[in-house]
Amino acid sequence: MLKKTVHTQPKLIIVLLGVLFLLAGLFLFVGQTAVAQEGEEPEPEPTAAPLTNSLHPTFPLLDEDGNQVQETGKPVSTMQTCSGCHDAEFIAGHSFHADVGVSNMTEPGQTGNGRAWDTSLGLFGKWNPITYRYLSPEGDEVTDLTTPEWLKMFGVRHVGGGPAEYGRDGQPLTDLAPSADSVETSIIDPETGERIPWDWTESGTIEMNCFLCHLPGPDNEARKAAIHDGNFQWANTATLAATGIVTQTTGGDWQWNEAAFDEEGNLTKGAISIQDPNNDNCGLCHGLVHVDAQTPMVLNECTPEQWSTITTGQIMSPQKISESGINLANKEELRRSWDIHTERVVQCTDCHYSLNNPVYYQELTESRPEHLQFDPRRIELGEYLYRPLHEFAKGQSAQGALAPGLDNTIRTCESCHEATTTHEWLPYTERHMTALACESCHVPQMYAPARQSYDWTVLQASGEPVVACRGVEGGGETFATALITGYQPVLLPRPNADGTAPLSPHNLVTSWYWVYGEEGSERPVPERALQAVWLDEDGQYPAAILDVFDSSSDGTLDETELIIDNEEKETLIASRLEAQGLTNPRIAGEMQPYNINHNVTHGEWASKDCQTCHSEESRITQPMLLSTKMPGGVTPTFVTNGTSVLSGELVTTEDGALYYQPKAEEDSLYVLGHSSINLVDKLGAFILVATILGVLAHGTLRFLAIRRNPNRRQPEVREVYMYTFYERLWHWLQTALIFSLIFTGLIIHKPDIFGAFSFAYIVQVHNILAAILVANAALALFYNLASGEIKQFLPQPHGFFNQAIEQTRFYLNGIFKGAEHPFEKSPEQKLNPLQQATYFGLLNVLLPLQILTGTLIWGAQRWPELSAQIGGLTYLAPLHTLITWLFAAFIIMHVYLTTTGPTPLSDIKGMVMGWDEVEVGHATTTSATSAQAD
Amino acid sequence: MRNFKYIWVVGIVLTALIILAPIVLFASKEMEKRDDPWTAVPDRLPPTDHADLLPGPYETGPEVTQACLECHEDAAHEVTQTVHWTWESEPVMLPDRDEPVTIGKANQINNFCIGIQGNWTGCTRCHAGYGWDSADFDFSQEENVDCLVCHDQSGTYVKANSGLPSEAVDLAMVAQSVGTPTRQNCGSCHFNGGGGNAVKHGDLDSSLFYPSEDVDVHMGRYDFQGVDCHKTEDHQIGGHSISVSVDGENDIACTDCHSETLHADERINAHTDTVACQTCHIPEGAVRDATKMNWDWSTAGQDLPEDPHEYLKIKGSFVYERNFMPEYYWWNGDADRYILGDEINPNEVTVLNPPQGDITDSDAKIWPFKVHRAKQIYDPNYNILLQPKTVGEGGFWTEFDWDLAAKLGAEVSGIPYSGAYDFTETEMYWPLSHLVQPKEAALQCSDCHSDNGRMDWEALGYYGDPMRWGNRGQTIGLTTETEEN
Repeated sequence: MLKKTVHTQPKLIIVLLGVLFLLAGLFLFVGQTAVAQEGEEPEPEPTAAPLTNSLHPTFPLLDEDGNQVQETGKPVSTMQTCSGCHDAEFIAGHSFHADVGVSNMTEPGQTGNGRAWDTSLGLFGKWNPITYRYLSPEGDEVTDLTTPEWLKMFGVRHVGGGPAEYGRDGQPLTDLAPSADSVETSIIDPETGERIPWDWTESGTIEMNCFLCHLPGPDNEARKAAIHDGNFQWANTATLAATGIVTQTTGGDWQWNEAAFDEEGNLTKGAISIQDPNNDNCGLCHGLVHVDAQTPMVLNECTPEQWSTITTGQIMSPQKISESGINLANKEELRRSWDIHTERVVQCTDCHYSLNNPVYYQELTESRPEHLQFDPRRIELGEYLYRPLHEFAKGQSAQGALAPGLDNTIRTCESCHEATTTHEWLPYTERHMTALACESCHVPQMYAPARQSYDWTVLQASGEPVVACRGVEGGGETFATALITGYQPVLLPRPNADGTAPLSPHNLVTSWYWVYGEEGSERPVPERALQAVWLDEDGQYPAAILDVFDSSSDGTLDETELIIDNEEKETLIASRLEAQGLTNPRIAGEMQPYNINHNVTHGEWASKDCQTCHSEESRITQPMLLSTKMPGGVTPTFVTNGTSVLSGELVTTEDGALYYQPKAEEDSLYVLGHSSINLVDKLGAFILVATILGVLAHGTLRFLAIRRNPNRRQPEVREVYMYTFYERLWHWLQTALIFSLIFTGLIIHKPDIFGAFSFAYIVQVHNILAAILVANAALALFYNLASGEIKQFLPQPHGFFNQAIEQTRFYLNGIFKGAEHPFEKSPEQKLNPLQQATYFGLLNVLLPLQILTGTLIWGAQRWPELSAQIGGLTYLAPLHTLITWLFAAFIIMHVYLTTTGPTPLSDIKGMVMGWDEVEVGHATTTSATSAQAD
Repeated sequence: MRNFKYIWVVGIVLTALIILAPIVLFASKEMEKRDDPWTAVPDRLPPTDHADLLPGPYETGPEVTQACLECHEDAAHEVTQTVHWTWESEPVMLPDRDEPVTIGKANQINNFCIGIQGNWTGCTRCHAGYGWDSADFDFSQEENVDCLVCHDQSGTYVKANSGLPSEAVDLAMVAQSVGTPTRQNCGSCHFNGGGGNAVKHGDLDSSLFYPSEDVDVHMGRYDFQGVDCHKTEDHQIGGHSISVSVDGENDIACTDCHSETLHADERINAHTDTVACQTCHIPEGAVRDATKMNWDWSTAGQDLPEDPHEYLKIKGSFVYERNFMPEYYWWNGDADRYILGDEINPNEVTVLNPPQGDITDSDAKIWPFKVHRAKQIYDPNYNILLQPKTVGEGGFWTEFDWDLAAKLGAEVSGIPYSGAYDFTETEMYWPLSHLVQPKEAALQCSDCHSDNGRMDWEALGYYGDPMRWGNRGQTIGLTTETEEN
């Protein structure tokens, strides 16, 4: 009979039924309890379960003294609360997210990145032209940001702990007495511009905010508001606002909601759920994250919270780009996701994992003993949960200079992907993978816009600098009205831990700004001073500035006018800065690289057309526009911690735009089909053309000589079996091979001219042809050695020079007069002395050299060290090209000289049929050396 | 040697061979062409103009059929061998039954209009024949085969009660228009199953008459006709639906034309053993016209405000849905079937056509279903589903008397009726195979593999999301181990 369940295995049914009964029992039990507690009206549905299946048990919220917050009404202390189970102090003490550089501060300019005023490698002390504000060190005459003001501004992108709790010398901030003397305990009064004391005990500090990353829906807006207000002690409490556990009264106070706590003071079940950080949590500070594949994503504004997005255009979303709400060029066709890993449900924390997470932890290849693939001895899950290291695996990126000790701990592409098996289609796989980072092909294009340049030498009326984005066309104010075109990243070498420096995609953000102070100890001009220089109290441009800048005389300055492009403007602003008490003001410029490792796509969308790189307009050397103008004519310097290399050059175009032009040869790359050394091609072409002209001239003279003397002696000829079948086969095979090799080589050398051919296929054909040629040459060598014919190719030591001169004189003189060939050609002696010399050079020098260079180019991926020792492709390839030119010249000469036989075609016929016409009655020497042309 | 004039030819051939052979052997072609799905699509026959062949005039449908049979002698006989004519399957063995049973519209019930017995005149409007108005219909009368309903290309052919041509139809004109069946022909019945457009299937409705590309990639982008996939030989049309044909014979599969491993992406190809193509490529049912998801007969007969998509006095209350998310179950192509007279448990939902297969069944894959849920009439004493008479004299749709309708229906269908009736919940499963979307619109990873994914993994028999908890093989393997312990 029909049964409700479709399962047919009785065992399974029993098990399932058992489980069902158990569940039903449990449900009834829970239901009854609920009824008993709630009295009359039981819920028809079971009460809502917690939103997620979090295993995290419920817990009380404690204040700084360890008392329950709902009792004391004080802000929550994450350190106290989470210490109930976790070693919160350990966590906060081992986190570069909390530290952000405060524990490794240096004197200004000692960080090694080239900036004279940076004091650390992290957010706390590393200046960035995008955010502009500068955390002043103690002792500067002019103060930009004090610690409290830094926290108000940068604290929204900081997880708490570190500099939000401790001073630069490690003492708790709340231990510091308010004093205008120190940058740690004072703040600039916006009215007077003077420092006034800041009372840390009143504002409180910000402990490391566990909720921000471990709550599914932290209330970041409320948290940010508290931080901006300087209400630091409530910032972490505000993060809970969306849960309903705490609410903000209209007066701005925070009140704990008693209903969220049970009788024992624990949070009620479902009031909160604690989880592993998901992409949304990371996105709060790091960039645009849009996990919902269905709701169209929009791109509104660039705020520093979307750091990776504004600096590179990286967006973490599984959504198909075509489904997004962004006004993208050719959007319909972009049926790929923003990021394949996000699409494949890989979380940020899967690669950037906690370094002692026993599930993820992996020994670095360098430190792993050779005999071990995997070390199973690791901490227990319980130990991990007690002390989860909040140092996260990271790469080695240009922008993430903090915690250099952890560089390259991240899962790289190779940690998860077996690239060799999926790239079998790619010729020269190893070679490609050494020269290129995976991202170079798998991040072929950024579809979102990114910042291109910041010009802080001028200020807009809004107080903002002039900012340019790349990847946007037209549209005016917002991205919503503009056409988003995206951009192609520039490829820069990225030195890796293993000593390689593959090309990898970058964005370059270029900035110009005013600095002041002595050379070597300069500081960026504080924004406050800039504002005073550029705008009067009403926020208008002062007349002095309009006089010089307002070329349209419309009383305001638009972006085209806001540029310091002559001395008058520069002097004016400099003098106004000096009036603000800033010494020696001058314009500086810098260029900062940003690695692009996200927004990866899979093979279908990756660059895989050979001619993307192997062509004249190669992706490898594609320049990147840095700025359409150069404020003050200042060439930007490169700011780097050595994680990216700028080996190319800065190029200014006629209209004043500044480009970065990568130079492949500087990175020891010779890209076939793209790179070519002009001199080699010119020299080769010259030799070829000279040869052609030479034979043309010689031929014309011969022709004229015959015309002038039509009755000259017709040589009497007889037919001699000159060339054996094997010799002929060998010859014509070599002919066909050399022609094909030159042709295919030409396609590889200049693929743009031969667009109809597939580059990869032609490369293969070229290699196969070369292999046949080598085999043919080797067989011929064997034949000639074994048969003794080799002697024919060896010039006679005795009298060679005289004979050569005689032959030369025949070609230069006798041939026009119908003179006899000085040497008779015979099967035993086919070559004249000049031929012997030529072939000797050809077969002993050019051919071996060509085979050797060719083999090494082909072998560049098999024995990269060997090729590199000889100078790598940068030397081998041009040499190979030059020899090809010489071969071509030889062929011209060779073919021409075959026409110097008894009749113009007789020699060619001889080489075809074997029977050659030889002049008879040759004066004396049938036994002596003989014969004619090649 | 000297005399061999053509030695140069030998030389050329030899040279060419030595060069070309290695190239052909060793140089790999760029991308090998994938299997071409078009090779499996049948060629369409060029139409034959029947204008001179069938001059008419014709008074009745059978007259037209006879005219057809003058040339196509076997055609009507062929049709009488098909389920389009018999509305009943060959006897099949169902699970847990001793004897084979026949299944079809002719003798079984569904949870839409329930059953045709006693209601023939209304239901057989969609029969490929003329005059089936009672149990006495003679299935051997070949002239009663309706050629026109499938072959009309004039677009004017309409059937009325008992499947007879509507009086307004110009039979000669229709007969002269005949050609290969198009979506219009198939759709005239199949898009209207359940009593109106889009009611029944959830993936077949009038939007497929002129579909745009985003409705169905085959019919929209490539203008596929029904018979391009439902390949037909001797009037036997490929394909079957588990509402009426429960064994997996006569299946049509995506893989008839497409390779299972055609995805460029290995990660996706790794799915095809466990996930039907339809699951990802039919992310939604009823993309244009809402379909009926729920039908409560128990409210019928009342004088409530009427709306064809919410309540009708003759039929009760409905819930329609557009763009519904399918439900996902294991299915191996077979189904069990409720046979009229089977005992039910009225406290449980009775599934009329439970799809067969589960995680342990290697033939089963996860399929997308429209599940139609209903409350329909049954006998609480005998615990059997009833087949009420609805159409015609004494039927519920005229008398609004359930008792009478049940009694009349029971007489015709030969089931007992105790005189008591009530309503019980039933379900029918409709696997989706139309409304196929191209890869751009197919499901993505996170549609299933995320916190709010559309699969209920545990209900499907997994420990949890197989991406994290292990795939089918691992799950079954672990299950077996646990059981042994």
